[in-house]
Amino acid sequence: MKHVLTALLLTATAAGAQDFAEGSEANSWGLIGEEKAFFEARVVDLACELTGDCPEDCGAGARQLGLVRAADDQLVMVLKNGQPVFSGAVVDLLPFCGMDVEVDGLLVNEEDWTGIATKFYQVQRIRELPDGEWTRANRFTTAWEEEFPDAAGEGPWFRRDPRINALIERDGYLGLGQEADAAFIEDWF
Amino acid sequence: MKSTSSAILLLAALSAPLRAETTPERIQVEGEFIDTWCYFSGVMGAPEAVQGSAHHTCALWCAAGGIPVGLLTEEGEVYMILKLEGEGVLADMDTLLELQSDRLVADGLHYRRDGIDYLVVETVVDNSGLTNENHDEWGVIPGFVIPEPAE
Repeated sequence: MKHVLTALLLTATAAGAQDFAEGSEANSWGLIGEEKAFFEARVVDLACELTGDCPEDCGAGARQLGLVRAADDQLVMVLKNGQPVFSGAVVDLLPFCGMDVEVDGLLVNEEDWTGIATKFYQVQRIRELPDGEWTRANRFTTAWEEEFPDAAGEGPWFRRDPRINALIERDGYLGLGQEADAAFIEDWF
Repeated sequence: MKSTSSAILLLAALSAPLRAETTPERIQVEGEFIDTWCYFSGVMGAPEAVQGSAHHTCALWCAAGGIPVGLLTEEGEVYMILKLEGEGVLADMDTLLELQSDRLVADGLHYRRDGIDYLVVETVVDNSGLTNENHDEWGVIPGFVIPEPAE
């Protein structure tokens, strides 16, 4: 009996602290609590998974998506895609809605840093199982260009996004109004 | 056999916290709308630096880019926002941008699964606007947010 209990306890502990780094080819970003993570999962609409409100096509891009990891059935929240341009992963995950996939990327977050123990995911590449081609999680800027064809000009998308620029024009970069911005900018530069 | 059954029951009990608890609970919670990627990844620095006026424009960029928004309470809890006031959309939503960095009291349904808190906001009960004026301490994060003025 003692041996059975010990074995079961070890199994439970291992399941709670599984190492998903094996097989990962993810690039390090030097993030807090960063761990490379390569695993099988099902792509889900988070609101559907949690609330039972399930539109077709995972909300067609209007909802946040996540991954239910095959190894431990954990719902992994995906915060970021593979581009260093302030972009999430909905556009990258959406073509795989409801599918079983393999993903490679980074788990991040450190409890000592944020007070929250769970890690979040940054996805760098995805492929449908069993034998789909790998896709890089870098589709956001292409999708943005298609959505805002008139937002031409120099610089990255976030400098040209009309929604953001309208808010900056109204509230300033600090969000406190143009007067607060002017005083800050005089000191900042 | 009895011992084995007890062991299996014990294992189930030990494993229980790892499994989802998705039954919703109505709550009212106060906090700041934040950019969760910068908060959890440390990519821009300390958690205190990636909120408030110091991080406002970056928070707009990230929300517009589809990065999930969270509600950060004074106790350090983060509620990941799933929906906002009955809207069907979140990933790319003008209302979300309007609220970014604001201090809100939100009423809605709280779900918790695998260590993460989620919130379906049914009503924004109160909005105090951007109250976390931390730019005097942190400047702007990242530093290139404000383009250098032309000569």
